[in-house]
Amino acid sequence: MPETNHEITLDSALGEEAVLATYRRMFAALARDSGAVVDDPVLVDIAETLFAAFAEAGEEWLTHEQMRHACRAHPVELFENRLRVLRGLGAIREVFPKPNQLRYRASFTSVVGLMFIRRMMDDGGQSEMHRLLALEDLNVADPRTTMEEARASAQNLARAFRLWALELITLTGGTIEELREQAPKLWGTEEIARRAQSLHGTILNRWPDLDRTCTELRAAIYSYSDASRRAAGRLADSAGTTRNLTLLPAETWRTFAQTASKERLAAVLDGFVFDAPAPWHDPAAIVRAVDESPRPAPAQPTPPRSALPDPGPADSHDAGPAGLDRLASVAESALGGRSSARLEELLTADGEWVSARRLLADLVSIDLRSESPYRLRWSDGLTAAPGAEPAWLSHGVLERTGNDA
Amino acid sequence: MTPDLAHARARATGPLPLGAGEPVPHGMIRLEHGDGTGLALPAWPDGATPSLLEEYQVAPVAVERSGETRRVLAAALKCCWSDLAAGPWPGVPAPVDEVLAAYRALIGRGDDLMRNWAIGALRRLHDSAWLVVADGLVRLGPRCACWPEESHAQLRELVRRLPAPGQEAAGLDVLPAAGPDGGSASVTPPGGVDEDLLGPFDERRRAEIVAAFMAVEHAAEPVHEARFPALRDPAPRRVLAEMLERRGRVLIQDRERWTSGYADGAAAEAGALPDEAQRAVLVLVLIHSVAIPRAEGLLPADSWLSPFPVQAEELRRHTMLPIGELEAALRALRHAGLVTQVKAGEEAGGYVPGPQFHRLTGPARRRLQEELILAAGPHTPLAAAVRARRR
Repeated sequence: MPETNHEITLDSALGEEAVLATYRRMFAALARDSGAVVDDPVLVDIAETLFAAFAEAGEEWLTHEQMRHACRAHPVELFENRLRVLRGLGAIREVFPKPNQLRYRASFTSVVGLMFIRRMMDDGGQSEMHRLLALEDLNVADPRTTMEEARASAQNLARAFRLWALELITLTGGTIEELREQAPKLWGTEEIARRAQSLHGTILNRWPDLDRTCTELRAAIYSYSDASRRAAGRLADSAGTTRNLTLLPAETWRTFAQTASKERLAAVLDGFVFDAPAPWHDPAAIVRAVDESPRPAPAQPTPPRSALPDPGPADSHDAGPAGLDRLASVAESALGGRSSARLEELLTADGEWVSARRLLADLVSIDLRSESPYRLRWSDGLTAAPGAEPAWLSHGVLERTGNDA
Repeated sequence: MTPDLAHARARATGPLPLGAGEPVPHGMIRLEHGDGTGLALPAWPDGATPSLLEEYQVAPVAVERSGETRRVLAAALKCCWSDLAAGPWPGVPAPVDEVLAAYRALIGRGDDLMRNWAIGALRRLHDSAWLVVADGLVRLGPRCACWPEESHAQLRELVRRLPAPGQEAAGLDVLPAAGPDGGSASVTPPGGVDEDLLGPFDERRRAEIVAAFMAVEHAAEPVHEARFPALRDPAPRRVLAEMLERRGRVLIQDRERWTSGYADGAAAEAGALPDEAQRAVLVLVLIHSVAIPRAEGLLPADSWLSPFPVQAEELRRHTMLPIGELEAALRALRHAGLVTQVKAGEEAGGYVPGPQFHRLTGPARRRLQEELILAAGPHTPLAAAVRARRR
């Protein structure tokens, strides 16, 4: 039972002031101004950045300018406001409490508080409850722990469980959508209930006088487990045929898929019956399959042909003098009366690859015709002009040999 | 064994073995080996076969590599159907090499790839009881006895014109005898299947009911009632439901579409998937393509089918299953329509639950969800609620 009629002594007043100071520091990171909690997560980010900077600075501490530098990503007025609040609440303090102090240090409690808050935001408190129970378990097993401490711990836990149970009961009576959304964050796994009961057992064994407090704790654990089951039961009843799969986190499914043995996986389908493969092969379909059987491939498959209309090789291949004449005229016009011409000039003359490539093709063709007097001679030179066409250009010379020009 | 259970079991595990002198369950074809033992296969009413679906333009259960599979079946018929005056079953055993040689003669090529494909087809035909491949010999399987008499002429004609296997695979000098004791094998179809139910209807009504029966039992996907008057009208639908009930089956409705599934009572006794690796792989596919997308809020419909494939790579690398077993299990599951392979581009694609998941009844679907939750999160309050409800 919580005691209510404290005598207010100097000692207790001092003690309360110390607790308040701890609270203030712990929640300083969340405070918007000295009287309320933040409404913008960026404000928490500033505090976190500052704490990280303090941790790095070590015993050098930080000056105001250094703090500002660490938070340079945030607007200056936001930073100043934040610093004022953090200082007001004692999360950041002067290294030495005297006027015109330039160096500052951070409070350890605030940093721990911030870590705690971040974790709470991540998983809604379930794993925090695990940690808390594990810690309390260690505490009550510690020979130095007094009965009063154990009583306080049991009372705190009982209160937490009762609050969770109440919230779950409210949800269970509400809409199914809300329940589906909220319940998995709140309900306790068997593990939590088991830990809580073992803690309860430890306290009761060590301090039999605490049986009243323990009875309350036990009742709270039971009502919490019951509320969890009730919420889950309502969801199970309302769930259609696959909808409840959403209630386990994707990570749980993945872990199961990755770590379960073949036997455990297979056991899921025990008692389910499926059809054996029994496709039907109709006689007519068998006859059709035989008739449509792919014909034996010819020994040498023809190369693939273009789908475009193609007059065929017989017409376009012109080995006669007409073809040679055309090539000769191309070569002559390229030479322009000279006996030799530089290829790199000929090919860049138009500044366009489409025309240069045709010219190049014709010149190479005539070079290959042994009966013609034109020859290409390639040299080692190479021009690279990224902006121009063609961008890469081998050097060479087109020349007229022999004497029948 | 009651007839409904026998039918359910034959559907789940293939043709039922019969001991010597054991009577055939009602409504099943008796295949006798000649020594008294035999096999039992479900018979269809009014001599219908799944070919009927073609008339209604409804897709039957898909056949993997159908052309190749059927050509290999034709090659096996060429080798095993010895007495063309009789029906094809049981025929005589033929060495696997002789069947492969007949297949080679049929398609006119003989490379290694063709051989591998043909062996894959032999395995699929064996798994679906169209052939029995064992000890290097191929026999015609019991399903070959399901071809109606009147279609034998067509097959006989086909076998006559197929090229004989080449000389290089002359085969065994002495083939094993057809039956264990040389006794004569026989096929006895049951008379008047469901006559008592169908009798009162005129020809047209009767044909409609049989068509609806074949459609819900053998179409790949649920069929629309607009195509099948017997599904639309309550009176013939009732008869249909009774026909199914005799086979341990029930009608399953999804709005205007219908299919059939195992009745929940029969399912418990008909026997599950025998292969453990197959069951494990199927569970993995369900987790990855249904449970995880659901948990992430991507899958809105309350169904066990899913558009989210699980990559074979994921199954290969992030599970405890040996790779060899995984590949074999995926192949078998695909063949049975329990998973469907989705191809998308070069690398993407994978496996989703197959069309058989249409055939789960409501309670079976719910139970599947609960079993998965019990297995993956046994210590969650949800699992506790499931256990409490079952007690």
